[in-house]
Amino acid sequence: MHIVIVGGGQIGSALARALSVEHEVFVIDDKPSVADTFATMDVTFIEGSGTNEEVLGRAETATCDFFIACTGFDEVNIVACAIANRHSSPDTICLVSRADFLGASQAGGLAPFGINRVLWPEAQLAEDIERIVTAPGAIDAEVFAGGVVRLLEYRLDAGSALLAAPLGGLHLPRGSLIVAVKRAGKLFVPRGTTQLEVGDKIIIMGTREAMREVEALVRPGQTQGRQQVTIIGGGDVGFQVAERLEKVDSVDVRIVERDIARGEMMAARLTRTLVLNGDGTDLEFLESENVGRSDVLVCVIDNDERNLLASLLGRQLGVPKIVTRVSRLGNLRLFERVGIDVALSARGAAVASILHQITGGTSRLLAVLEHGEARVIELTVSPNFVARELKRMGTPEDVIVAAILRGDRAIVPRGDDRVGPGDRILVFSTGAAGDRVLAYFSGTGG
Amino acid sequence: MRLSLVVHVCGLVVRPFGLMFLAPLAMALAYGETHDAWGFGISAVITVAIGHWMRLAGGSSAEDAVERMRRVEGLAVVSLAWLLIAGFAAGPYLWAGMPPINAMFESMSGLTTTGATVLRDFSTFGRGLFFWRSMTQWLGGMGVIALFVAVLPRLAIGGRELFFAEAPGPDDEKVSPQIRRTASILWRLYAGLTLLEALALKTVGFTWFDAVCHAFTTLAAGGFSPNPQSIAGYQNPAAEWVIIVFMFLAGANFALQYRALARGGLRLLGRDEELRAYSGVVVMATIVLAIVLSGTMAIGENIRTSLFQVLSILTTTGYASVDFQLWNDQAKVVLLGLMFIGGCAGSASGGPKVVRHLVLARFTLQELRRTLHPRGVLPVKLAKRVVPESVLKGVIVFFLFYMLTFAVCAFIVVLFGADLVTGISATAATLGNVGPGFNMVGPMGNFADLHPVSRVVLTGAMWIGRLEVLTVLVVLRPEAWRSGQWAS
Repeated sequence: MHIVIVGGGQIGSALARALSVEHEVFVIDDKPSVADTFATMDVTFIEGSGTNEEVLGRAETATCDFFIACTGFDEVNIVACAIANRHSSPDTICLVSRADFLGASQAGGLAPFGINRVLWPEAQLAEDIERIVTAPGAIDAEVFAGGVVRLLEYRLDAGSALLAAPLGGLHLPRGSLIVAVKRAGKLFVPRGTTQLEVGDKIIIMGTREAMREVEALVRPGQTQGRQQVTIIGGGDVGFQVAERLEKVDSVDVRIVERDIARGEMMAARLTRTLVLNGDGTDLEFLESENVGRSDVLVCVIDNDERNLLASLLGRQLGVPKIVTRVSRLGNLRLFERVGIDVALSARGAAVASILHQITGGTSRLLAVLEHGEARVIELTVSPNFVARELKRMGTPEDVIVAAILRGDRAIVPRGDDRVGPGDRILVFSTGAAGDRVLAYFSGTGG
Repeated sequence: MRLSLVVHVCGLVVRPFGLMFLAPLAMALAYGETHDAWGFGISAVITVAIGHWMRLAGGSSAEDAVERMRRVEGLAVVSLAWLLIAGFAAGPYLWAGMPPINAMFESMSGLTTTGATVLRDFSTFGRGLFFWRSMTQWLGGMGVIALFVAVLPRLAIGGRELFFAEAPGPDDEKVSPQIRRTASILWRLYAGLTLLEALALKTVGFTWFDAVCHAFTTLAAGGFSPNPQSIAGYQNPAAEWVIIVFMFLAGANFALQYRALARGGLRLLGRDEELRAYSGVVVMATIVLAIVLSGTMAIGENIRTSLFQVLSILTTTGYASVDFQLWNDQAKVVLLGLMFIGGCAGSASGGPKVVRHLVLARFTLQELRRTLHPRGVLPVKLAKRVVPESVLKGVIVFFLFYMLTFAVCAFIVVLFGADLVTGISATAATLGNVGPGFNMVGPMGNFADLHPVSRVVLTGAMWIGRLEVLTVLVVLRPEAWRSGQWAS
C-alpha cells in the first residue's frame, strides 16, 4: 500500500518504522533535523510543509491509500487532511491534542474536512487512566462492546483465593475467563493445569456481572469506600483525568501543578478537584499534603525523569497503586521493572491503533495489553467460515475466543459453544498470533 | 472630572423628569383636586426650566463630551441626579403643606423604593398625591436614569457609565450588547409585569386606582400604599397571594427573567445560583417565621402571612399584611435579619443582595480551606466561573462600608432620642430601602416622630443605600473633586 505520513515526530517515526517493511511510505516534515531519523529506514523523506500542495504532490498523495497527519499542530493536521482529500479520497487519520476541534461529540466534528478518523492520544490515555483508577486493586482495566464485556488485570498477592489450586480446580464465576498469565516477564495463555503463583499478573475477561464477582473474589473484604486520588502534573492528560474522575462520586481528586497560571486555569474549570500549587517531586511538599495517604497516585508530568522520581517518591510514602505516563516508548519496561504498577504511553497506544487500522482489515483493535504483548480484537467471522464447536476449533496457539456478541448480550463461551459465520467475536491473542487469528476467521477455518 | 459635563448630563436627566409630573397632574384634575394639580403643574415647570438651564450651562464643550464620559463622572452624575430628582419630586408634597425635611424624606423614600413614610394623616392627601407617591417608586425601581438611557438618544453611548453606576448589584451582565437596548428591554419587561399585576389585582377586587398604585409599588419593591394600614387594610387573601408572586419577581434578576422568557428556558432559572439561593432563603425564612408564629393564627393564614412578610422584607418592599409590630421578638429578629440580605442583583430590591452574600460565604469557606491546604489554588466561583479578584474586593469593601454606614447612622438616630430597637431597625430599613422598622417606625407607625436630624440622616441613608454605598461615597471623596475643572 501507499502511505503518506505528515510529521516525523515520535509517532510518525514509529509508524514509518513499522510500516516500511511491507508498504511504500512517504514521510513529510518541514524540519530538516528529523531527516536523520529516517535515513536508516526504507522510506522516502520529503522536506517541506504538509499543507503545501506541491510537497504533497511529490509524495504522490493523489494515489495514496492512507494519509496520516501527526504533526504537533492540530491545525496543520486538519488542513493537511483536508487538502489530501481534495484530490483523491484516501483514508485520512488525523491526530489532535486539544478539545477545541472535537467539541462535546468527540467524533464526527471533523468529518466535513474529509477526515475519516480522529485520534486524540491524550484523551485516550486519560480514559485508560480513569478506568484503571476506578477499578480497585486492578492494574489494568478495559471495557468492550459498550460495557457488556470487561477485562481486568491483577497482580496476585500472597493469600489470594486464586492460589489455592491449579486453574482447573478453581471455581471462577460463570462467564469469566483467565485469558493470560504473565510470569517473570513472559506472557502465556494458561491451561487447566497451570498453578498460579504470588507475583503473577493475571488477565481476566468476562461479562459485566461475572467480573463483579471476580472483583470480590480476587480482593475479598475490599469495600468500595471513598478513594483518594492524587494526580501529579496538570498537563492535558492530568487535567482530563481530573475532569473525568471528579464525576465519579466516590472519588476525591487532588491535582498538583507547578505552574500557578495553569493551576488557576484548572481550578477555574474543575468543580470538586482540589488544585495544589507545588512541585510533585518535592518530598517535603508531598509529605505536608499527606500524599502518602492517597489510594492511587497518577503521575502525568510531561517529563519521564521527573515522572519517575514522583512515582518513586509516592511509592516511598506508601501509596498502594501508582499509575505513570511514559513518553519515550523505550522507557516503558524500565518503569515497570522499578516497581511502578502501571506505566502507560499515549503515543504507544496511538501507534498501535493506527497500525491495526492499516493492517487489520475489517477487524477492530480494542486494546493493547502489556505493551503490545497481547491484544484484544473484535472481528466478524467470515461468511465462508464453517460453524463448529469451540473445542473442535484449530485456532492458533495462544489465541482465545473471549466472548461472542449476540445483540447486546455477550456470551463467554465454553468448549461446547459454537462459533458460526457472521458472529461478532472478541478474540484475545498474544502479540505474535495476531495476524494468524485474522487469517483463520476470515477463511473457512479449515 | 469635568464639572460642565456633570451639570450638563444632570440637566439632560432632570429636564425630562419634569414631564413625569403630567401623569399625577392629569389624575388630580380628573379627581377635581385643583389645589394639588397646581402643585404638580408648578413642579413640572420648575423642573423642566432648571433642567433646561443646567443643560445649557454645561456649554458646547460638554455636549461633545457626553459620549466620552468617564467612570467618576458617571458616578457623580448618578449621585447628584438622584439627589436633584428627589428634590424636585418633593415639590408637590411641599405645595401640599409638608415641611421641607419631611417632603424630602417622603420623596427620597419614594424614589429609592424604600417605602418609609412621614405621613401621619392619610386623609390630608388627595388621590393625585398618592398616585405620585406610588409613581415615584415605580420610576425609581428600575432606575430613573436607566429609563432616560433607554429613551434619550443623547445618552445612547454615554449612558453606559450611568447605567452601571445606577444598576443594583455587582452583576454587570446585559441582555444586549447595546446599553440602550438593554435598558429598553428591561424597562419594557418591568412595565409589562406591572400591567399584569394591576390586572390581577383588579380581578381579585381592588379598585383600578388601588390596583395600579400597588402594582407600581410591588414591582418596584417599594412598599408605599394609599391605604394607611398598608395591605392589612384590605383583608383580601387573594390579593395577598397576587402580591406575593409579584414581590418574588420584583426581587429576582430582571435580566434573567427576560432571558428565560425570550429563550424559553425554565432550566435557565433553575441553574441560576443566585435565584436558587434567593428561593432557598425565602423558603427557610418562611418556615422559621411560621414556626415562631405558630399558635397565634390558623395554619393556612400563618403560612400566607409568613410568606408575605418574608418576601416583603427580603425584597425590601415593606408592605405589611398584618401589624408585625405586635409580633414577638423572635419573629421580629427574623425580619431584621432579612433586611440585611436583600433581593437579587439586577432586581428592583435594595439591601446588600443575595449574590454578595453568596460570594462572601464562598470566599470565607475557601479561606478556611486554605488553612488546611496552604498551597491550594482556591478560587471563589459563582455559576462555574471564577469571581475576579476585583469583584471579590468590591464585595468585601461594599459590606465593610455598608455596615459602617449602618453603624454610624444608627448611632446618630439613637443619639437623637430614638430607642435602640427603633434606631437600629429604622437605619436597617432605610439603608436597605425596606421601609418600615419596629417600635416607633413600625408598619403602622411613621418616621415623623424621629428627631429632624435623624430624618435628614435617614434620607441620606436611603440615597446611599439605593446607589449601593460606594457610588455615593466615591463622589463624597474630596479627591474626586479636587481635580475637577469646569471644562477640559
